[in-house]
Amino acid sequence: METSAVISCRNIEKKYKNFELKVDELDFPKGFATALIGENGAGKTTLLEIMAGIRLDHKGEVTYFDKFSEKDRENNPEVKNSIGYTGTGTYFLPNWDMKQAKEVQEILFDSFDGEKYEKILKDLAVVNGSAFEKNKKVNNLSDGTRTKVMLAGVLARDTKLLLMDEPASPLDPLMRDKLCSIIRDYLAENEGEKSVIFSTHNVADMENVTDYVAIVENGRVVEKGFVEDLKEKYVYVKGNKADEEKAGKYMFDMTSGSYGFEGLCLSENADKLSGLDLVFESPTLMQITIGVMRANTKLSGF
Amino acid sequence: MIISQSSGVPIYQQISDSFRNDILEGKYEEGAYLPSIRGLAKELKISVITTIKAYEQLESEGLVTAVQGKGYYVNAQDGEMLREQHQRKVEGALLEAIKYAKIAGMSDSELTDTLNTLLKFAEE
Repeated sequence: METSAVISCRNIEKKYKNFELKVDELDFPKGFATALIGENGAGKTTLLEIMAGIRLDHKGEVTYFDKFSEKDRENNPEVKNSIGYTGTGTYFLPNWDMKQAKEVQEILFDSFDGEKYEKILKDLAVVNGSAFEKNKKVNNLSDGTRTKVMLAGVLARDTKLLLMDEPASPLDPLMRDKLCSIIRDYLAENEGEKSVIFSTHNVADMENVTDYVAIVENGRVVEKGFVEDLKEKYVYVKGNKADEEKAGKYMFDMTSGSYGFEGLCLSENADKLSGLDLVFESPTLMQITIGVMRANTKLSGF
Repeated sequence: MIISQSSGVPIYQQISDSFRNDILEGKYEEGAYLPSIRGLAKELKISVITTIKAYEQLESEGLVTAVQGKGYYVNAQDGEMLREQHQRKVEGALLEAIKYAKIAGMSDSELTDTLNTLLKFAEE
């Protein structure tokens, strides 16, 4: 399958006191939803902020839509307007009320559609009869509601790329499901032209809307690929205690209990396990994520 | 189309199975396009890449052809190939029957008798 990149990262480096993000090469496929997954503090937010242009001081290059540089993103309104970003904090000033939040977005973004914005707020149950007051301060909204307001803001614009930092975390299960629908609708709006990149800890909730993943650990991309390809690259193995020692040396990652063991194995090594009484399953994205994270974590005790 | 998340059959396989049946049963005319990739993903509440994998499988079987930027259209199904595909289905179903016959402890002649009886019923 041929794909082009909506964002290409090359030799990105960003150093902090105790942490360094280093991404040599990472391409986000155009027309798909990509999930950035990794431990807290792994560098997901930093990477998203670099791509969104919130952090400008870094080494390396980010290319947008196959041809625009970071400078273009800052200077060419066409590029800037086609990218929507939602963060975990808020880009609304705390003392703004909902009316002001809308007005500011109308001023800031050329393609901001006020009617669409109101409709999406209704869809997301932010505007819910008397429970919602127009003069309510942004600061007094719950985390989930603030996320919804930011989502409505980016969705009310005519964009080609959404960058979302942890959009699912503050949402309840019903709204997470809604978020997945929103992402699918967005991708289907213009077949193959629109892309979404989001970070998430809610791998299972987002699995059915994740096409490509990049797993980030300790500032490095430790695994990346289309989900269906990764499901072929790895196989999930379960076995009895008696086979644990023999199987263990070919496993990519495993956990063991009193009765047996289970974990991720590279498919290319699965042959070496033949003859043992094992169960082989196609791994879920969650199982791949956990296995890859555990194999790369710097935390002890895993 | 019913997609089961817990059947053990990969989702892409369930989708390609369903379309293969429809195509082989002639529900799609030659040259007709399958639903758009992202439209189908949206309808079935699954990821885009899973839908692509299902369509790519149909393509590798020669049932559909991909056109850059337009999607996948259904190929002319030649009689020989159709027959072969159906034959494979029959074999699969019979293998399944043999498996259950063994579990039930039926002898080979009992199994063929059952088949013959059913054939007679189907003719009537």
